[in-house]
Formats: sequence, C-alpha cells, structure tokens
Amino acid sequence: MKLGAYILKRIFLMVIVMFGVATIVFFITHVIPADPVGAILGGNAPIERVDAMRRQLGLDKPITLQFIDYIKGIVHADFGISLKSSRPVLKDIINYFPATIELAIASMIFAVLVGVVLGVFSAIYRNKSIDHFSRVFSILGVSMPVFWLGLLLLLLFYYHLDLLPGGGRNSLFIFPPRITGLLLLDSIIAGDWTAFWDGLSHIILPAFVLGYASAASIARIMRASMLDILKQDFIRTAKSKGLSKRVVIYRHALKNALIPVVTIIGLSFGSLLSGAVLTETIFSWPGLGRYIVNALLVLDYPAVTGGTLFIAFIYSLANLVVDISYAVLDPRMRV
Amino acid sequence: MFKKMYLWTILIVLLLSLVCITNATTPKDALVIGANTEIFITNDPGVSFEVLPNAIVQNIYAKLVSVVVKDKQFITIPGLAESWEVAPDGKTWTFHLRKGLVFADGDPLKADAVVYSFQRVLKLQKSPCWLFSDVLGLTEESITAPDDYTVKIVTNGAPSNVVLTMVGNTLSGVLNPRIVKEHEIDGDMGQAWLTDHSAGAGPYVLEEWDRKIKVVLKANENYWKGAPEIKTVILQDIPEPTDQLLLLKKGDIDIAWDLTAEQANSLKGSTDVSIVTTPGQSDEYVGMNAGWGPFKDVRVRQAVKYAIDYNAIIDKVMTGFAINNQQFLPVGYFGYVENNPYYQDIEKAKALMAEAGYADGFDVELVTNTTERRETEAVVIQENLAKIGIRATINLMQASQMYAKFREQGLQMIVAGWGVDYPDADALANPFANHRVKQLAWRCAWLDDYAADLTEAAAKEINEDRRFQMYQDLTNYWHIYGPFAMMYQPIEFWGVRNEVKNYDKAAEGYSVHFDLTEVGK
Repeated sequence: MKLGAYILKRIFLMVIVMFGVATIVFFITHVIPADPVGAILGGNAPIERVDAMRRQLGLDKPITLQFIDYIKGIVHADFGISLKSSRPVLKDIINYFPATIELAIASMIFAVLVGVVLGVFSAIYRNKSIDHFSRVFSILGVSMPVFWLGLLLLLLFYYHLDLLPGGGRNSLFIFPPRITGLLLLDSIIAGDWTAFWDGLSHIILPAFVLGYASAASIARIMRASMLDILKQDFIRTAKSKGLSKRVVIYRHALKNALIPVVTIIGLSFGSLLSGAVLTETIFSWPGLGRYIVNALLVLDYPAVTGGTLFIAFIYSLANLVVDISYAVLDPRMRV
Repeated sequence: MFKKMYLWTILIVLLLSLVCITNATTPKDALVIGANTEIFITNDPGVSFEVLPNAIVQNIYAKLVSVVVKDKQFITIPGLAESWEVAPDGKTWTFHLRKGLVFADGDPLKADAVVYSFQRVLKLQKSPCWLFSDVLGLTEESITAPDDYTVKIVTNGAPSNVVLTMVGNTLSGVLNPRIVKEHEIDGDMGQAWLTDHSAGAGPYVLEEWDRKIKVVLKANENYWKGAPEIKTVILQDIPEPTDQLLLLKKGDIDIAWDLTAEQANSLKGSTDVSIVTTPGQSDEYVGMNAGWGPFKDVRVRQAVKYAIDYNAIIDKVMTGFAINNQQFLPVGYFGYVENNPYYQDIEKAKALMAEAGYADGFDVELVTNTTERRETEAVVIQENLAKIGIRATINLMQASQMYAKFREQGLQMIVAGWGVDYPDADALANPFANHRVKQLAWRCAWLDDYAADLTEAAAKEINEDRRFQMYQDLTNYWHIYGPFAMMYQPIEFWGVRNEVKNYDKAAEGYSVHFDLTEVGK
C-alpha cells in the first residue's frame, strides 16, 4: 500500500472512531437516570419550570431525534449550546483548551526528558545506584495519587519554601498578552519576559505532577528497550569496530531504542489531556478537564459530549501522527 | 558523560531559581477573594439566580431600596429611591428617586431606566422572573414612570415586606438602557453582553470575567454614596478549599470563601486570620412522605422528630457551624421567634411508635445526595432511627436524580436542604407548608389544607401584627403535624485576613445582604 493510501485509510478509520465515540457518549449521557434540567435549576425549582425548560431545550423529543440533531450539528462543527453557560460549547472549548494543551505539552516535555534520560542511564548502569533510583522514581510515579502529590508539593514549594506560586496560570497582578491563548508562547511573541517567567513558575508544579506518571512509564520502557538493543549484534559490531562508548550509545543504541517509546509518547499524550482534571483542580488551572467534569456534575449534555468528542479527536489525531510517522520510518507498517 | 549531566543539572537549577518568586500580601486598596467560581453563569441581574454570583451582582447594580441587617433583623432602607409609599389598596407602590443620580459611565439615572430594567426581567423570562410575575403579580403594564423621578408599580397586593425585599433583590438592579440597547444581539436585550460586562450604578463596575480564572470589579467613582474604599475586588478562582487555606495563611488572598468546617476550626487561635460568620439563608431538614405507609400517621412523624439527636448533628457533623432552629423561618426573618420544641427523647419516641401500632418498627429508604455532609447526616439519622426500631436503608443519589424523584412524591424519606429565594416568611412558608405551590409540602405528600390556607392568608395579610401572629400559629401547627424534622440552620463562614476590616458587616445576612462598600483595609 502506498503512503497516501495508508494515510487515507487511517483518516477513514479515525472518522469511524469519532462517530463511535459520539454515539457512545451521547447515549451514556442520555440514558443515565438523572435529569439535567433539574440539575441546572436546582432543588427549589417547581416541576412546571423543570418541564418548561425541558421542552425549551428539546429534551422532551424522542432520543433518536435528539441523536440525529446532535450528529447533524457535529458535522457542521456545532456541538450545541451549553445548558449551563448558555454559550456555544465550541466557544467554551476554544476558551479552555489552550490552558490544557499548554499544560499537556509542558508535562510531555518533562516526561520525555526525565523518562528518556533516566531510562537510558539505568540501562547503561544496570543495577547501579542510578538504576535503583530510577526504579524507586518509577514506582512512586505510577503509584502516588495525583491529588495527594499535588497538595504535598504545594505545601512544600509554595507554603513552606516559598519557591513557587500557589496555583493558577499567572499571578493576579501580572497581565500576560493574549495572542494564541498559550500563555508562555504569547509572552515570548510579545517579548513580555515578566509574564513569561511568571507563567513558567506557575507551570512547573502542575507539569511535574501531571507528567510524573508518564515519565515513570517512559523510564521503564526506555530502560527495557535500551537493554534489549544493547544485547543486539550490531551493537557488538559497533563496539568491536572500536567506536567510543558515547557514539555506540547515542548513535546506534538510543536511536533504535527510542522506537517503542514513540508509541508510549502518543498514548501518554492522550492520558495527559484527559487525566488533567485533578491536576487542574489542585492547581486552579483553567482547563478543559475541569470544564468537562463540572459539566458532568450538572449533566450539561452538550458540554460533556462536545468536550469528550474534542479530547477524543485530539487523542486520535496524536495517534494518527504516531502511526503515520511509523509508516514513514518503517514501510512494513503499511502492509 | 556525567560531567555533561552535572552541567545540565546546574543549568536547570539556575533556571528554576530565576523563575522562583516570592509572595507579597495583596495591595492595600484591593480585596482578593479566593472562591470556587464554577457556579458563575452570568453577571446579568435579570438572569443571575445563583448565590455567589448574586452576591457579586448586588455590588454592581444599585436598587431602589437596600435590604440590610439591623439588630439581627432584616430591614429595608432607602437606596436609589429616597422614599416610597403604598396606596390604601395595598397594591399601588410609588417610589421617589433621588435627584442627580448617575450610572457608572456618567449617564443620568432616571425613572425610565428603572421601568426598563423591571420590564426587561419580565420580558426575559429567566430564572428569577417568577419573583416579579408570580410573587408580586407584576406585568409590563403595571410598571410605569409618571415623571423622571417617580416609579409606580402595581402589585397583586403582596405584603409590604415581600414587595420591599423584592425591590431590594438582585433582580431589581437598575441597568442603563442606552448601553444595554447598544449591545443587543437578535433581540436578546443585551443578555449575551451583560454576561461579562456591566451597565449599572452600583458601587462597583464589572471590569473582567476571565472564566475559571477571576472576576474583577473596579470601584465606581460615580457611585451615589461615594466611591468605595476598596478600589479593586478580585474573585480569584481557586476550586480546592485546601489551596484556599494555604493562600489565605500566606496572605496571597484576603478571604477564603469555601473552607471546610475542619479547616475553619483549624484557624481558631491564628494571629493572622479570623473566622467571620453569619446565619445562613437556608434550612436543613429530614422530610417524610406523609402519603407513604407508617408516615401517614402523625404520631410516627412525631416519633421521628423525637428520635433525632439535634445536638450531635450540630456539634459533630457541623462542628458548631449551625444553629438549632427547628422552624422553617431562618433567624432574623419577619415572624421568627425562637421555637424549638423537639429534642432527643427515645422513650417518648418509642411510646409514640407503640401508640401508632409500630412498636416493632418498620423498614424505610432514606435518600440523600452524594455530598460528604449529607451522607454523614444520613448516617447519624439512621443510627438515631434504629433506636426506636426504624430500620433505615441509606440510598445515595445524584442531587438531580434525587430531586427528580422527590418532585414526583417518589421518596419515602429524604435528608436535604432548602435555600431561601427572598428574605420574607412567605418564601419559606409556601414551600414548607403550602402543598398547592407543589414544592416541599407537596413533594412530601403533606396535603394539609389548613396549613395551606393559613400560608396563603398570611401572604396576603397587610396588617403586620396580624401577619406576625399568623406565622406563629402556622409554625406551631406545622411543628405538630408537618412532615419535616428541621435539623438546623447552617452558619456561613469565611476565613478572613486580619488586615481586612469590617468584613463581618459586609457579609452580615449573606446572601440576602452582601455589601463590599463596608470593607476596608
């Protein structure tokens, strides 16, 4: 199969996945025995007002009709109007997404840097102190609850040591420029270094907390992959050619050992996007995760379905890019 | 290789130390409130109906009168209107506006703006609209301006306290019609624009609402009472109470809005922070379905009321942040007189159960929603009921699911709360005693016509002494026959930095009254 045909096939599959996600999310939110109108109006509202609002929002229509309307809307990039905020869901998503993607990217950078470095060193210095450290680091990373870790770090670095700020994307009395919505990028574009350093100081803790688990996974996979590669014949050949240890490790082993890590990075990125809810709450981060969860608590259907679909889209897109890059790197994948 | 790694480590540490910040206390002319702003939907007085946003909107839009607390009672004082009178028919109200009033942008504020704002509430038909249309019986035609300084409204004859508290309510905030019309989109009467902008004459102007980040208010230098001392009020979004506590202790916020009772208690003895309290505008109750099995018998309902350990709930579950108030009228309301006839008396409760033919008890489903406090309350109630043989099974539900069933009289027993819509006895008597309005009494299938008649008569009674007595009679009757065991009236509390002055005055009577102009530093 040619590369173009392969990409088209993957995109077609992605459309099917998106339709599946839309269908599942729609029916899950609509069949649960709860009343979104009641959730929005609260316990005081009399039944007449609840019924009137239900009619006004079209929630009294048969579920199949609601579903058809919903799918029609999605095709036109219209996720509907949020029951709670009365704003188009897409507008809300565009408002909150930059904060989430910025945090996810920062966490990813942290996770890849730390994970790869630790993985490589623990493979090279197998069973030495750095390997033990990496093991403990990884076990802690995958087993520590995000909520607990976040609060603990805040207590230490904000409250006791006074080194880092206590939450939010920037300080209250610093006004960063707004161009793309990505605060750090915007500060660089506008040359506002005060805002940049302020933003950077705010993202350190949440990026660490969010990226820790991914860093731990990457470190373990990197180590295993590296150990596997180091046993290969071509490494022995490289060594016997008299190449320096550095060249053998960086030029020959690392490049090959990184391939399985790319897969993990693609998958991790999705979990960083969807798993940001707790981190966003602890660090008062105005992101999409909190938007979706709060929408869920008041059964704001359009916001839940729209937000979930959007995250699923980004996730699929990230994996599509991973798949395509695989196909480019390794023609066997196209078969 | 290690050398390089060390170099990198040093570089990262240096970079980190560059971005490290030191925290300062908030500026002297600014008040920073840390709160979970998730509940914010709009800042439009004609649409907003949630407690926290209403408290902020109250400070953006001036009203004809203000509802304040004096000697622990809600009273009405002049606002934009310097005086008012009601015609002998008890229906026609005339408000006389002050001369020389202006909006924040300097536009003159005259009677036409009041008429426009009131009619706008009725046209929009949003959540608070029923207070005008149903409670006061207002129509667009019943609101007029005979001249620039007179506003006339014709009500359905509601008592003066009801009319005045409504005219002092958030929905009665006066908007600048010129600005609103300029920002109208598709006939929305400026609704979309007013979500995050303001056009009022209150002490503050809404400068910015950056969703999930902050709400910023700036002092209105044209405010008719004079510009407030605090020039900037920032409501910073901090969803997690533990974070609010840390930021408060460090001085990065002046007020923590959502502390838990444990956190508030942990601040006792602090030299930097105080706890400010005020009686909450809500009731916590146990509701029994008077149309279901054993609860049909008034003696069983009374037995339940005698089985509950009110003190344990107030002291242990609420850790003291609650008032023992067993009637539907909150402290400070018209008609309120301390009246708590129930206390835990297991023997008496058992005797009542035996008298009703339930000496061996019965099984019941006790429903509440999934919040930590309600769950704990339900467990205490379950344990209390077990002592008189009632075997309660707790069923936790999402609030919306619980209320959906409750609205259909589908619950046997419930632990829940009721927030006040406006500060008058009628706002509580109706839901708790009048089944015809299809609120709590109806949901508990307590279809008592005597209580309903008395509630309706009290709502229409314009002689204050007679009206007062009617609420006493209603309360006493309801205590005996009603399907509710009132657990307590919650106490609202905030963590406040000691640099902040008079916050207790600003928040006294929250959420009915919340006046940031009282605050200083």
